[in-house]
Formats: sequence, structure tokens, C-alpha cells
Amino acid sequence: MAQRPDVKIECRNLSKSFLTEQYTINVLDDISLDVRENEFLVVLGPGQCGKTTLLNCMAGIIMPDAGKILLDGREITGPGPDRGVVFQQYALFPWKTVMDNVGFGLQIKGVGKAERTGIAQRYIDLVGLQGFEKSYPHQLSGGMKQRVGIARAWANNPEVLLMDEPFGALDAQTRYAMEKETLSIWETDKRTVVFVTNNVEEAIYLGDRVIVMSCMPGHIKSQYPIDIPKPREYTDPRFLEMRRLISDDTELSL
Amino acid sequence: MDAIEAAACKLPLVPRQPTPYALKLKASARDNYISIVSFAAFLVAWELVCRLGIIGAYQLVPPSQLVTTFIMKLTNANPDGGTLLEHTETSLVLALTGFGAAVLVGVPLGLFMGWYKPLDIMVTPIFDAVRPIPPIAWIPLAIIWLGIGLPAKAFIIWLAAFVPCVINSYTGIKLTNPVLIRVAQIYGASNWETFYKIGVPSAIPMVFTGLKLSLNASWTTLVAAELLAASQGLGYLIQMGRRLAKPDIIIVGMLTIGFTGALMSWGLNRIEARFASSKRVRL
Amino acid sequence: MKIVRALKSKLLLPVMSVGICIAIWQVLHLIIGGEFLPSPYQVYREAVRMFSVKIGGNTVWMHVYYSLRRVVIAYLLGAATGLPLGMYMGWNRTFDKVVKPVFEVLRPIPPIAWIPIAILWLGIGEGPKIFICYVGAFVIFVLNAYTGMRYTDPLLIAAARTYGASRRQQLFNVAIPASMPSVFAGVQNALSMSWMCVLAAELVGAREGVGYLIIQGMDMYKPPMIMVGMIIIGIIGASLAAILRRFERVVCPWRRDLT
Repeated sequence: MAQRPDVKIECRNLSKSFLTEQYTINVLDDISLDVRENEFLVVLGPGQCGKTTLLNCMAGIIMPDAGKILLDGREITGPGPDRGVVFQQYALFPWKTVMDNVGFGLQIKGVGKAERTGIAQRYIDLVGLQGFEKSYPHQLSGGMKQRVGIARAWANNPEVLLMDEPFGALDAQTRYAMEKETLSIWETDKRTVVFVTNNVEEAIYLGDRVIVMSCMPGHIKSQYPIDIPKPREYTDPRFLEMRRLISDDTELSL
Repeated sequence: MDAIEAAACKLPLVPRQPTPYALKLKASARDNYISIVSFAAFLVAWELVCRLGIIGAYQLVPPSQLVTTFIMKLTNANPDGGTLLEHTETSLVLALTGFGAAVLVGVPLGLFMGWYKPLDIMVTPIFDAVRPIPPIAWIPLAIIWLGIGLPAKAFIIWLAAFVPCVINSYTGIKLTNPVLIRVAQIYGASNWETFYKIGVPSAIPMVFTGLKLSLNASWTTLVAAELLAASQGLGYLIQMGRRLAKPDIIIVGMLTIGFTGALMSWGLNRIEARFASSKRVRL
Repeated sequence: MKIVRALKSKLLLPVMSVGICIAIWQVLHLIIGGEFLPSPYQVYREAVRMFSVKIGGNTVWMHVYYSLRRVVIAYLLGAATGLPLGMYMGWNRTFDKVVKPVFEVLRPIPPIAWIPIAILWLGIGEGPKIFICYVGAFVIFVLNAYTGMRYTDPLLIAAARTYGASRRQQLFNVAIPASMPSVFAGVQNALSMSWMCVLAAELVGAREGVGYLIIQGMDMYKPPMIMVGMIIIGIIGASLAAILRRFERVVCPWRRDLT
């Protein structure tokens, strides 16, 4: 099937349910979605409404019950280094140092130590963790851990980066700083990003396009292209206008 | 997912028919057939090894003979002086008595030690000195003090069961969430009330861990004590089996010991599930 | 100066503990009477005597050596066989199902219950003693390796998969390191179990070893000798545990991160 040239990921009619003893929970209900090449796409929705499930399907960690996901026209059958993931709970390997964590993907690929160290160092510098190469995750703060997570995912040079509420566990100030940093990394090293969040401001600050998901049932409500040039100001009138628009939209979905 | 979690879920819940029991049984049989086949193969191999004389009759007996010996021992007091049931009863009574007595003293002691500093300071040194010495090492001293017989065995078993009770209760109550203690203080609870209503309930999971360790220790120590100095009981049974060079009695005895121990652990787990399920005591 | 202060604070509590213990012991001795409970001084005197003579043909140090040797051999054998087995059982569901039935039947049998059949099979000598310790340590190693492997945080495995790690890479790069804390808990439990088992085996029948020492004390009706033996046993047990804890801190420095 012919694919439009600038579409990186195509989700067609995705459905996913989970079964408990007494209920079937329809988490995703016939979702279709396109992600364009080098686009920073934000998926916005309240908590517990299936955004993570959608992301995990794109990552290949779980398989949808119905529908398929195409990456560059090829169907996804499982996880792989072409789709990097940044997890909300960091998922850092506690027995590895920061340097070893960041270089993990390269190690799996079989890249030699010297080259690996060089690439990892570049990304450690990019996220601002110079000097912490030999530290262990338990010695780092939440924000620092997530920076390691981002560096690790980015260092593996994936075609797509999937970020699952990466700043959800951080305090407000760290969060603002991380948003800024993510944007600057993305500007330096552009690639396709799908970013999941429940924070409207974060969505508008980061996204080229914001997709609003609703809960009952889990499907895509609406889309908002954000045309404000980056870097954006939280207090810019256009920003506030978008914020109002999207907030009103999400409020109805509760 | 219970009713409260269901109500809080924002996603659409579609009621479904729970899987019928027959299907569940089928599924679990399918899951386990590898285990069943493997166990059967093991038994067959064992049988063959014995029948073909690869291992002599004085060292190992085939499973078929074990079954006959087992049935025989249920009612026959030969050749050691008691039926299997009598031995098991003797052992069980002793182990459970020791265990019960240890729990009655050990759990409260551990809880109080963990809460009240003066008691802690007084008792902990004694405890720390006695703890590294394995209970079995007390056997010679116990025999000198109390003679060969029931009191010595009971003392050792009690000692073995006592230590894990105290340690785990102590740790359990020490790990009480300090925030909860604060809350109690703000509401004006006395130290005793806080101990009784907050400390003890939150220590229950660890207390049960201690109980399980304690039960295991008392059963193990009982076997050791009966091996060394007894005239009845499962430990005595397997020792007699060796003296008479009858491996079938030894193996039947060993399996009975294992099975009884597992049964008691299972019983304790059920009690824990009833009274201390994590849903109830999640603080 | 700092070192002295640190040493002082670390030593102060245990030393005070021991002091209080000896004091209470002395009091009990006065209450209960010399026959049953020798005084600390009597025990000390006996210890001095014991260390200067040969008991049953061996010095006390030799007895300690015999016991330790049995423990170490059994323990290392147990680790070498139990850890890989447990890990593989935890990793490969099919293998788990094959091995599980036999293991679950043997597991509840206390190691000490193996003594009679071990003597029947291996005679009287080093064989049964090492065998019992081995059984005790083996079971613990298997269980802890199994739990560590089975309950590896699935998130970490998922993360590894997103980097394209093959099954084998997941095993060696993620699952095995992640199960190390559980393995180490097993390492310590297995050692204390081995120590207990060697003692039990020696009590049943031995001519050398620390168990022999306390049996001799019993046969010769000498409570001070028994108590010296018990104290030696306690000290060695505690020292072994302390050495292992040190070792763990070196090998698993991140352990404080996980509860």
C-alpha cells in the first residue's frame, strides 16, 4: 500500500483491551494516527486513559488486538533500536554507571568501547551531566536520572523517539528546565518524536502538533497544529490562546 | 480489580463472563503437562535404576516399594516400634508446642523491644550474644541441664523458633512509617495507643514472615533433636531406618517429614491470607 | 583523629553489649549455681586450657579447620551448581516446568533429615557431612537465584528490548545483574545454613570438628567446655556473615537503591 512520503509512523485502527476477572477494559478503541517525519508530536490526555498503551504499542512492547502500526511502511512486530523509548520511571540499570547506561544501546549493537565512550560522552554533555559519568543511578536526583534516560535513548540514534510522560515524576521547576533542554536537544539533533503528557502547557510548549485523547472510550478527540515559532513563551498571547482552546477541549472529555 | 477500583477507572468497562472453571482447569493442565510428564519420567527412571540393580537394595529402593512400605507403615509398628501416624503425631505435637510457646513469648517481646527503648537497650545485648549460636549447638548443654528426653528437646525447639519471632517482630515494628506515628500523636494518642493501633498492625506482615521462618526452624530443629536423642518421632524413624539398613523406611520417613513441613507452611500461609492479607493491612 | 572517633563509635556499642552480657551472665551464674552454669571466669579458664592441649588428637584450631573446610567445599559446590540451575529455571519457563516437580518434592525436606541416608550412602567420614551442607546450601542458592531472576523488574527487560537486545543479551546484560541482590541474600543465608548443617552432622558422629568439641564436653560432663565450644561456634558464624556482608558491599554498591 502506497504511503505518503512524509509519514514516519502510521497507526491504523488500533484497538487494545485488557481482561480482568469480571471486566473487559477497552483501552484503545479504533485509533488511527499519522506521525510525520521529524515532527514533534504530543499526545495529550488525562491520566489513565490509554496514552501509555498507545505509546507501548508504537514501541512494540505490547501488541494491539486489532489494527497495525507501520514504520516507514513496514509493520511493527516488536521492540527494536529503531524506536527509542524514554520511560516515566526512568528504567535505568542500577548496576551500571551513567556512562555505561548511556552507552547501553551501542553496547548491544556491538560498537567498540572507544567509539562508544565518545558517542556517549557527547550525549552526556548534551544533557548537562558532565562530571557524573562514573556515578550510579541511586546517587542521582530524579531530574538527573531522566536526563540519563534521555541521553541513553538519544545516543542509540533511533529513527523515532517515544517519550512516555518523562517529566511526570519531577517537580515543577525541574520540569520547566527539562522541557527547555529537550527542545534544544531536538533542535540540535532533529528526529521524529512522539511525546505523551497530561500537562497542557508542556504540550503546547513542545509540540508541533498536539493530539488530544479522551477516555470514554480511549480514542483521539481532536488535533491542534501549533504554529508559534520555537522557542515559545509561556506568556505569549498566542500560547495562552492555544492553551485556552485546548484546555476547554480536554475539560469536556472528563 | 474490586468494586472501588472499577468505579475509579476512567476507561470503559465491559462486563464479561468469567472464564468457566472447566476451561481454567483445562488451561492449567495444558500448562502443567510438561511438569507431569517430567515427574513421571523421573519416577520411571528411578524404578528402572533400582530394578536393574544399578544401585543396590541396601542403598536405594524403587518408588513402587516405597508405596508398599508407606502403606505398611501406616498401621504396622515394625520394625522400629511405632506406626507412621504415631511418629508423625509425636513429632507434630512437639514441634507445634515449641513453636506456639515461642510465638507467644517471642512476638510480644520483639514488638515491645522495638517500641520501648529501655527494653531494647536491656535485652538486645543478650539477644545479639545468643543469636550467632545456632540452636543445634545448644543440644549438648541442654542435655546436661535437662537430661535426655522431652524437656531438652522442647527447649531447643523453643529456642530455635523464638529467635526469628523476636527479630522479625522487632524489625517489623521498627519500620513503622513515622508519618503515621506523627498522625497519631497529633490526634492525641498516648504512646501505648500508638503502639497498639499503629505500630502493631503495620508490623503484621513482618511478624508473619517471622512466623514462617520460626515454623521452619522449629520443624528442622525437631528433626535434628529426634535424630540425636529420641525413642519416637519421625527423626527417630529415619535414624532407625539407617541402623537397620532399610532405605525404604528412611525415604518414606524423609518424604513424610517434607510433606508434613510443607503442609504446616501451607496452613500458615492460609492463616496469613485470612487475617493479614496485604489489602487489609496496607498502611 | 576522625578514624579514631569512627572506630570508637563503631566499637563502643558492641563492646558495651558484650560487657552487659558478661555482667548478666555472672549474675545468672550466682543465682543458678556452679554446676549448671559456669561463671564467665571459669569459661575463660577452660578456654585457655583447651587451646593449649589436643582434644581427640587435634588442637582446637585443627577442629575449627576441619569444620570450616567441610563448609567451604560444600558451599562452593552448592553455589556452582545451585546458582546456574536457579537462574536458568527463573529464565526459561519450560526448563522450570521440567525441573520443578522433583525440586518441589525435595525442597521441604530439611537438610538434616538427609543425614541418615547420607550415612547409608557415603559411610561415616567426610562424605555425609559435606553432602548435608551441600544440600542445605544448594536449595537456598536455587531458590534465591530463581526469585531474583523471575522477579526482575519487567520494565528493565522491556527497556533492553527497545535497544534491540536479543534474548541472550537480555539474560546476560540485564537479568543476571538485576538478580544479584537476591542472589546475595541467598549467599548469606546459604552460609549460615551450611554452618548449621555441618554442626548437626558433626553432632551425629564425628571425630574432628567444632561439633565434636561440644559433644566431648557433654560426654565428659564439662559444661565449661561445651560453652567454650558454643562461643567459638558463635564467633565463627558471625565472622563469616560479616565477611560476606563486606563482600556484598563491594560487589553490589547500588544495592541501597533497591529495598
